[in-house]
This record gives sequence, C-alpha cells and structure tokens, in this order.
Amino acid sequence: MYIILEGRESLSWLLIEDSPWRTLSSRLSTYLPTMIGHVDADCFYVSAERVRYPHLRGMPVGVLGNHGACIIAKSYEMKAAGVPTGMPIWEATPLCPQGVFVKRDFRWYEALSRKMLAIVQRASPRVEFYSIDEQFFSTTERTIEFPQRLQAEILRQVGVPVSIGVAPTKTLAKLISDSSKPFGCGVLKNDSERLALLRDRPVTDITGIARRSAKRLAEHGIHTCEEFAKSDRAFIRWLLTKRGEDLWWELNGTPVIPIQVARPQHKFVSRGGSIGKASCDPQRVGAFVVRNVERLVEALAHYRICCDALILTLLFTNEPERSLRSSLLGSRADFEALLEAAMYLLPRVWQPRSAYVHYMHVIADGLRPLSNRQRSLFEQSQLVDIKRKINNRMGRFVLRSGATLPLVDVYGDAANEYDICDIYGKSCF
Amino acid sequence: MNFNFGLITMCKGISILKARLKQELFEQYELEHRITTRGVDAQEELHFMYTDPVVQLPVIHDGQMVIYEWGNRGNKESKLPRTGWCRLESLEAGKWRWLSPEKIIIPADFGLEKSVWFQINEGMQGVLVHDEQERPHAYMLTRPASHYYQTMTRHDRMPILIEQEI
Repeated sequence: MYIILEGRESLSWLLIEDSPWRTLSSRLSTYLPTMIGHVDADCFYVSAERVRYPHLRGMPVGVLGNHGACIIAKSYEMKAAGVPTGMPIWEATPLCPQGVFVKRDFRWYEALSRKMLAIVQRASPRVEFYSIDEQFFSTTERTIEFPQRLQAEILRQVGVPVSIGVAPTKTLAKLISDSSKPFGCGVLKNDSERLALLRDRPVTDITGIARRSAKRLAEHGIHTCEEFAKSDRAFIRWLLTKRGEDLWWELNGTPVIPIQVARPQHKFVSRGGSIGKASCDPQRVGAFVVRNVERLVEALAHYRICCDALILTLLFTNEPERSLRSSLLGSRADFEALLEAAMYLLPRVWQPRSAYVHYMHVIADGLRPLSNRQRSLFEQSQLVDIKRKINNRMGRFVLRSGATLPLVDVYGDAANEYDICDIYGKSCF
Repeated sequence: MNFNFGLITMCKGISILKARLKQELFEQYELEHRITTRGVDAQEELHFMYTDPVVQLPVIHDGQMVIYEWGNRGNKESKLPRTGWCRLESLEAGKWRWLSPEKIIIPADFGLEKSVWFQINEGMQGVLVHDEQERPHAYMLTRPASHYYQTMTRHDRMPILIEQEI
C-alpha cells in the first residue's frame, strides 16, 4: 500500500510541476491523494490583543498567564529581545525594558479562534480544531495560491496573521507552516522539497518528539528530521513504539495520522494547573483541590461522561512530583464522590508534608458515557444539578464549595473564571 | 534626563499615543522631547514620568484633553499634598475634601510600575485640585493592588483603571 501511495504522490507532484499539465491536474484532483493543510496563527494571543488594540502592532508585547507571573505568549519583537515563552516577568523586563505586558483573556481568544475555524471550514469539507490557534484541513488544491487566499481571508475577516503549510501528511504540513512563519505559506510539491524541509531540522521540531524521545534518538545518532526519516522503520518502532513509527511514515510522505473532524473520545479528563505562588498551607492547597474538582465535575457534565477512578498529582518545588489513584464506588460524576476521593488522596500524595506545592492535576480516569453507568438506589445528590442551574443563571462559580474560601485572590479576579481548558472541542490541549 | 529624588512612587509613569494629542498641545506645553517609540514599526508615544524634570500628566477635564502638573513633587511652600497619587481610601474618608477635588480621567495607553509596562485599555481615574495660585494639579487615584497586579509588578497599590481589571 505504501508503494502505491508513494507512486501516486510522485505522479501528482509531476503533474503540478509541469505547467502544461496544470489544467489536467486540477481535473484529476479528485483522483489524486488528498493533501493536508495546517493553519497556525502567528503568536496568536498577541495577535488577538492587536486585533482589539491595534496600537500594539510593532511593539514588543508579552501576554501573561493566569497568575500574572509568566509569559505565555510573546510577539516576535519580544522574542528578538531574547524573551522565551514561560519566562517570569521579572526576568523578562531587564531583557526587554520597553516590552508591554497584557493580561490574558481566553474568552476573547476563543471568540477569534472560532472565527478562524469557521473560515477554514468554509474552505474545506474536513477540518480539525486542533488547538486554539491551529487547524488541520484536507484539500485537493496543490497550488500556493490556495493557502495564500485562505491566509488573506483570515487576516481580512479576523485580523490575525497566520502561516499555512500544505503537504501530504499532517506532520509535514505542520513542519512547513512552522518554517513559513511569520505570515508565510508553503506547499510541499515534491520529494526533493520534502528532503530539503527535513534536512538539518532538529527532531524536536516534530510534533510528538519531545525531549525524552529526542534523547533516545540522539543516543542512536539520530538528530535531524532527515536522519529520522531515513532510519529503519522497524528500528524506529522498536525505539519509539507505534507513535514513533506513525511519525516515520508521515515524514516520508504517507499519511497515517488522520484529520479528526470530531474530538476523539477522552481517555481521561484533567483539571488543574499552577496554583500561583508555591504553598504548604493545607487550607490553600486543599482549596485548590476543591476548585479543580468542581471544574472537573463541570467538564464531565459537559462531555456527559463519568469516571471509575480519580488521580491526584502534585508537583512540588523542592521534591519530586507524586501521584496516586483511587477507585470510586461505581462510575461517578458527582461532586461529593469525586471530592471525597480527592481529599482521601491529598494527604497521601502530599509527602513529605513540608513540601511546597506549586502545580496540581485532578484527573478523571476510567471514563464511560454517563448513559452506560450502573445506577444505584442510594444515589442522593442533586446538588450538582442545582448548582449548575444557579451558576448558569448567576455566573460561573457564584455558588461553589465553602472550602474554596481561602482563594479570595483567585475568585476575586473575573479573568480566572475562564481558562484555556474551558474551550471545548479542541483535539489537542 | 530623569531625576530620581528618592521618591516613593506608585505607578510612576504613563504613556499615551502621540496620535491622541492635538498639535496645539505640543506647542503649548513643549511636548516634543517626550516623544519616543518602542520599535521601528510601532506608533510614537509620549512618556510622562513622575521623575521627569517637568512633572506633567495628560488629563481629560471638562471633555478636553489638557496637560496639567502631576501632583506636587517638590514645592514645600504649597499647601497641596507632596505626592503624585491620591489613595481612594483617603479620598473616601474625606481627607481631600478641603481641596475640593474634581474627578478627572488620565488618558493613558500604558502604565509603568517597577519597570513593568502594562496595557491600559481606556485610561485611569484621577483627581484635580488647585493650589494657592489656582493652578490645576492632577493626582493619580490608587487602590490596593489586585493579586494579579501585585504578582505582575510587585507593588501593593495600583491605579484605578477605567472599565478594566488587572
């Protein structure tokens, strides 16, 4: 199958390259393999801020995260000053004293993201809402004019500059859009262009190859995408399992990772994140656990699923992270059951007790549709429904657990009502 | 050239886009030296710092954009409070009543706090009082800093922003 596909790809590239055959190639487009496009907004949060505050254009701009400490997005001007994403603001200001900092607003970013998505959906029948600033789409178009038109349309209607890559596979399309930034377009037309794209590009540029995989590859002399693609397929599978093999196929031009028009079923659902300044105050840490359980219950209700187990993970500033799992009595999605499990886990995960917590995850595991669960005669809670109804009417978190009272600073800031994980429908984070 | 007088400052400076100021203000108040830019493609701005040799603030008063003296930095002879900021708590406690303060808007696009420039959407609130010679002085109104602002700037007080929460 691979050989046939490869042959067809080569044929399609040949037809496109040879200008007398352009018309024929467009007629034949329905018979040619579908190409995959990748739309990636350029420094999306900054660009979104520039849509409503155009005077930020041309300035070094950093968007700050949930607690106002770390830079979650930066403009190219700020990047040029040496400020990376994730840097605390107090380290960034000496590097970029003229930089302007903006508080994040995920509701606004979502509004623009969905406008972008709608435009891409009008241009293609199959679109994946990959992340807040990225979409994959299928297309039979192979000319550079197509992504350029789409790019211009997004800029005109949304005001956000994007880069677009078009290639036979998702992995290659993403590499092209990355290499076309900022505000560029690229179409991978033939095999020599594919090799040029992969040459000297570090393997960490591949989505799915993180630091640990890169280290394992480096131990075998594989540092670049080209070396990865030219490695023995079976060896890559042995080293990086099926996920690595999928990337090998993709880098060699054979699509194996499909476009996901609908969000795939969750394997687990998680809520959590940074708690701001690290703390060993049991009331504050406990309050964050309660807050995250409430958010998790909301998410389970949204997806109409329940879980058989709960996992609590704590990350400490001065100790290695710890995680424990607790099975629930049946499949549950109610606040009382999940909170009981979380509070049971908290002192057991928080070891040693002197450790400072700065990050946590509350994870629902063993998911199943709510309609498939075994019901019990002893279920009594209607509290979640009542709370949801009140909060839908009065505002999110208006009615919440009293155990969250120590988080006056968190609930006192309306911007904390809405986070990146509250944007539903994305196939990636 | 900036002077540091060892002052205890809060939001120690603001910036306004040059395009928002009328040309006559430049001539009237000699504002040209305040013009600066953050990049080759960025719009020009005017910076107003409490540590400047001439301490001024742009102010919207009676619907007009004007330039007033920013607080009272160094005039010991004046009856006016020797600061550039007015605490909302003291205003509400009536401590400024004898000066008959008027509410004004400081039309800033950016604020500067402890080396952190932050975005201002519409402007900030201020009060206007008059000295013995009936000259207007603008004070920036402040309140206890939100948790976010405190983390961002490491300052425990913040300006009162119009229709904006930081």
